[in-house]
Amino acid sequence: MKFLHCSIVVLLFAACASDYKARKPVASDQACADKIKPAGIKTAWYTTHIDVIGKHISGLLLVKQMPDSSKRVVFTNEAGVTFLDFEFRADGSFQVKQVIKQLDKKAVVQLLRKDFELMLGIPFRKGVYEAWQMNDERYFGVPQKKETAYFITGADCASLRRIELGSKRKKKVTVEMWGDNLTTPDSVKVKHYTFNMVIGLKKIER
Amino acid sequence: MFRKFIHTKSIGVAKYTLLIMCSLMLTLQASAQYAGYKSITDLAAFKKQFAVESAKVQSITSDFVQQKELLALTETITSSGKFWFKRSNRVRIDYTKPFTYRMVMNGDKMMVKDDQKESRINVKSNKLFQQVNKIMIDCVQGTILDSKDFTTRVFENDKTYLLEMTPVSKTLKEFFQTIVLSVEKKDYSVKSIDMNEPSGDKTTITFSNKVLNAQVADEVFAL
Repeated sequence: MKFLHCSIVVLLFAACASDYKARKPVASDQACADKIKPAGIKTAWYTTHIDVIGKHISGLLLVKQMPDSSKRVVFTNEAGVTFLDFEFRADGSFQVKQVIKQLDKKAVVQLLRKDFELMLGIPFRKGVYEAWQMNDERYFGVPQKKETAYFITGADCASLRRIELGSKRKKKVTVEMWGDNLTTPDSVKVKHYTFNMVIGLKKIER
Repeated sequence: MFRKFIHTKSIGVAKYTLLIMCSLMLTLQASAQYAGYKSITDLAAFKKQFAVESAKVQSITSDFVQQKELLALTETITSSGKFWFKRSNRVRIDYTKPFTYRMVMNGDKMMVKDDQKESRINVKSNKLFQQVNKIMIDCVQGTILDSKDFTTRVFENDKTYLLEMTPVSKTLKEFFQTIVLSVEKKDYSVKSIDMNEPSGDKTTITFSNKVLNAQVADEVFAL
């Protein structure tokens, strides 16, 4: 019983602890930020796996840079049926071009919109950042409505380590990309921390 | 009286002319829609013939190429793989390039396997899966013309029948504007399937190296 109490206390502490407690504000190094800033995925097809609360969905994801500088994200199943088609315009506006009834829920659309925006580097377009240092990492952040979108590099500013979305205290989403060219990464992993969801992308070589 | 007769006759002629014009317009529309094809008017007779002939196909082994065209995005993705069918109600589709994905339908059960996970689905528990499963099976085993999920128009040229199927239900209308099956006259096997989406996007599956009625082991459709 005593052990149970202790465990609950430890768990409560863990739940309340801030992921950003050790973070210290620093002057923004614009040269480093410009070098590391995620330009976002341009045009590529990916095999896609979405694992969400015990359910597994697979399909193909197209990210397409359009001539008018907008970006489209289309998710289809392997047999070719389109599940969703989102448009991210250059002026920052967003439009659902198509979504099947099963996914047409405000919470689902907003969740996927935010995930795709991070992958596309949309929060970082304006180029004005706050900066922090935590452990050996440098955080460059842009405030969103209730959250902050970060791109994170090492102390040496050698490469982009990950993109992150967090509330004041909690890390909510991370986006990691692998490959030589991060505008068409070979693979991408989007992980949620407030509930169990992972999106995995693997580039299709055509 | 005479005037009344003339008037009635005029209406009759007008109706007749209108009917001819409508038929002509429909034929022209069909020809315009499917160049080189003319419409089959006796659908009942065709259905009967189609059911008899396609019942002779007990199994199919084939290669396929699938092309998904996204009209507004000017993007096309091509995939290919292998296809098996065994009467009745068994279909397996293996995508091998540029990704791997397997879909096996065996009666009311279905298995999908991607490069990470295998999932088994009882299609009875999901209406949409049930419909998609039924369409796929009905298309290859020649029972699609009996399906209440679609209204059908049939066209022909000297080598091919075209079955244009328009969904009836709201659920299917969301996914497909029409599904067009191209069927070989020589053996009543499916040559290609065009799935036209309401957005204008289109997926075409074209079958090649077809082998009909060869021995196909039941294990191919193991779930």
